[in-house]
Amino acid sequence: MKHRAMSVAIVVAVLTALSGERAGSQEFKPSRQIEAVVHTGPGGGSDLLARAIAEMLQKEKLISQRMQVVNKSGGGSAVAMSYLAEKKGDPHTIGFFTGVWVTNPLTTTEATVSVKDLTPIVRLMLEPAVIAVKADSPYKNMKDFIEAAKKSPNQLRQSGGSITGRDNLMRLLIQKATGTQWTYISFPSGGERLSNLLGGHVHMMVIEPQEAGEQIRAGNLRVIAALTEKRLPSMPNVPTIKEQGIDVTIIPQARGVVAPPAASKDVVQYYEGVFDRFAKSASWKQYVEQNQFEEGYLKGPPLSKFFDELTVLMRDVLKEAGAKVVR
Amino acid sequence: MDAFNSLLLGFSVALTPINLFWCLVGVLMGTVVGVLPGLGPAATIAMLLPLTLKMDHTTAIIALAGIFYGARYGGSTTSILLNIPGESSSVVTCLDGYQLARKGRAGAALGISAIASFVAGTIGVLGLMLIAPPLARFALRFAPPEYFALMVLGLVMVVFLAGESMVKALLAMFVGLWIATIGTDLFSGESRFTFGQAKLLGGVDFIAATVGIFAIAEVLVNLESRGAAELFKLAKGLRNLLPTLQDIKDCRFAFLNGSLIGFFVGALPGAGATVASFLSYGLEKAVSRHPEKFGTGVIEGVAAPEGANNADASGALVPLLTLGIPGGNTTAILLGGLILWGYRPGPLLIQEHPELFWGLVASMYVGNVLLLILNLPLVPLFAQILRLPYYVLYPLILGISIVGVYSVNNSLFDVWVMGLFGLLGYLMRKLEFPAAALILGMVLGDSLERALRQSLMMSQGDIAILVTRPISGVLLAIAALVLCLPLVRKVRYWRVEAIEREG
Repeated sequence: MKHRAMSVAIVVAVLTALSGERAGSQEFKPSRQIEAVVHTGPGGGSDLLARAIAEMLQKEKLISQRMQVVNKSGGGSAVAMSYLAEKKGDPHTIGFFTGVWVTNPLTTTEATVSVKDLTPIVRLMLEPAVIAVKADSPYKNMKDFIEAAKKSPNQLRQSGGSITGRDNLMRLLIQKATGTQWTYISFPSGGERLSNLLGGHVHMMVIEPQEAGEQIRAGNLRVIAALTEKRLPSMPNVPTIKEQGIDVTIIPQARGVVAPPAASKDVVQYYEGVFDRFAKSASWKQYVEQNQFEEGYLKGPPLSKFFDELTVLMRDVLKEAGAKVVR
Repeated sequence: MDAFNSLLLGFSVALTPINLFWCLVGVLMGTVVGVLPGLGPAATIAMLLPLTLKMDHTTAIIALAGIFYGARYGGSTTSILLNIPGESSSVVTCLDGYQLARKGRAGAALGISAIASFVAGTIGVLGLMLIAPPLARFALRFAPPEYFALMVLGLVMVVFLAGESMVKALLAMFVGLWIATIGTDLFSGESRFTFGQAKLLGGVDFIAATVGIFAIAEVLVNLESRGAAELFKLAKGLRNLLPTLQDIKDCRFAFLNGSLIGFFVGALPGAGATVASFLSYGLEKAVSRHPEKFGTGVIEGVAAPEGANNADASGALVPLLTLGIPGGNTTAILLGGLILWGYRPGPLLIQEHPELFWGLVASMYVGNVLLLILNLPLVPLFAQILRLPYYVLYPLILGISIVGVYSVNNSLFDVWVMGLFGLLGYLMRKLEFPAAALILGMVLGDSLERALRQSLMMSQGDIAILVTRPISGVLLAIAALVLCLPLVRKVRYWRVEAIEREG
């Protein structure tokens, strides 16, 4: 009898311990490989970033499972976003968003999943941009360029990406603020945009500081304005566009992480925790500096607010730009 | 002497045992991903990039570049043996390569493709070494009008892809041009011919379409003639499985043509290896003494495009290393790698890191030799696949096609696209429409339309911009000449006929 009572007691004790353990930790831990969805093919901006982050997460020992980058390219970001929507509630899938994830559903009927349908995790950084001209160009600052554009409307040319991209939207805002007009020519790859500027076939482009940096050092390019709120630490002598008297909204180019729709609270907490620690890690700091990004860490309600405000801003700017806004 | 000294420095880097080892690993992996359709060099390099962080940086770029140009060697294997293009730049190789295989000359085709790749690879490295900076400056003169002219030149190659009927070839080409318009329009952001399908926003996947049109259609056509006892003749004995001296002699011009076109087109950031391979195939046929035999299995028809896509790999490194401008996906990843390793890729890279540039150049000489040594003995081995009976071979072709196409974008939709294009290819075969003309339209359509619209934006709608600029004017004039070629031939034919009648 004694034995029996004791074994019952042990069983009860173990059970309570187990259930206590379960009740105490709502914690989610990935039990298999994490899929990180990007909307570009191998070699695209998001792809390179996601792969670099996967590597750094492993190096800093911040995740217990491997993070596998999955390329879902096509339709701007539509294919990647609808893939995430299909993965509703899957805790082992995340996606790397950029500004396209906000604008694409606004302009594309087929892109039915919006960033609001997904679960925000963190915004990691902002990509600053500058306006560059050829080094031997007569335009030394924004004033020179704007005056030339006024003198001969539509004769100056800018190379850039798709018309819904940040470079074109910034052009439209600047044109409106200054009452000028110049031509915008779309090129699918950054390489073509830059080579057309270096070849003198276009007069200016909006470029990321890291990409421009080496061309400046080699004496091929000159930067005439920073499209940022504050001067860039790497280019302290380049005044911002606002300093040059052109008051325009700076459209942010943000990158970060989202989860599929209906992610549970503990899953969100888990990823927030991982990226909290990641954003403070030495590897990430070094990466941000090397690529001349701006830190822009944001999570929780402020991140949702950021998405909401960006959506409103983009809808307005796109409408003004004459783009077809479908939702 | 400067280049010579630098090259010596390069070899002293490339020939260290560790670099030699990683060069071998790189080209070996490149060959493997080239052979497998679907998994391309871009995805492979992207996956391996993290592993290189702990390596010496020169070693790392030697290994990754090895994958890049090694893949161009492997790409021809499935094109020739199974009519499955292994990479998009090996599509043209199917045309004559597969026909050679059917005639029992698979070994010769595979062998000549390895030799053409070696010659072009080596000439490409020479070019990279000797003229990279001036060539990069020249390539900067290519603006949209020049690209437009280049694409037009590519498009008129259709006259060399036509079989009996020029009308059918043109029709197929225009369908190809139409297919290329499917997807999101870059300039307006609007979607065209997507039928509400989000998966069509990015356009029809090129690999899915070509594998369908070539491989699946081939299987369908052959299913009908199941009675045929032997699909492929295969020569007995190892010696007959390699190209003969006569083959190599026949390909002298093709080697050179492929190398030069491939290298120059490769150096242009907005063109690509597939365009280069079509151009060199067209040129080869244009100057050939027996153009009518192209498409039925001539050895030059394999050597020219295979040379071109290999030289293109060296050409693509020109803007990357001299200006920091990537021309395609794979070079964009290499650029990302250079940044990750702490370099500042740009115009000053070669000057500030000569050991990196010259080590890479020297390793590419070594790598091309290694690839030739690797690939030639594999030829008889690969050719044995054709000994398989049809009831093994066809399921194998189907299996490789499905897995390959699926793995490009992990998309089942693409597999359906492949099936649809298989049916289209089958119908085209039955009705004697040349599939290659359709593919040509698909390859060039996108760039052609884009370049035209960009040019007109540059000139505010004035179409004269296309002919008044020197480079584009010359290219368009050549294109016009090429278009007239069949007419000239026809007139000559009539004259001969008339003379005979009189006689």
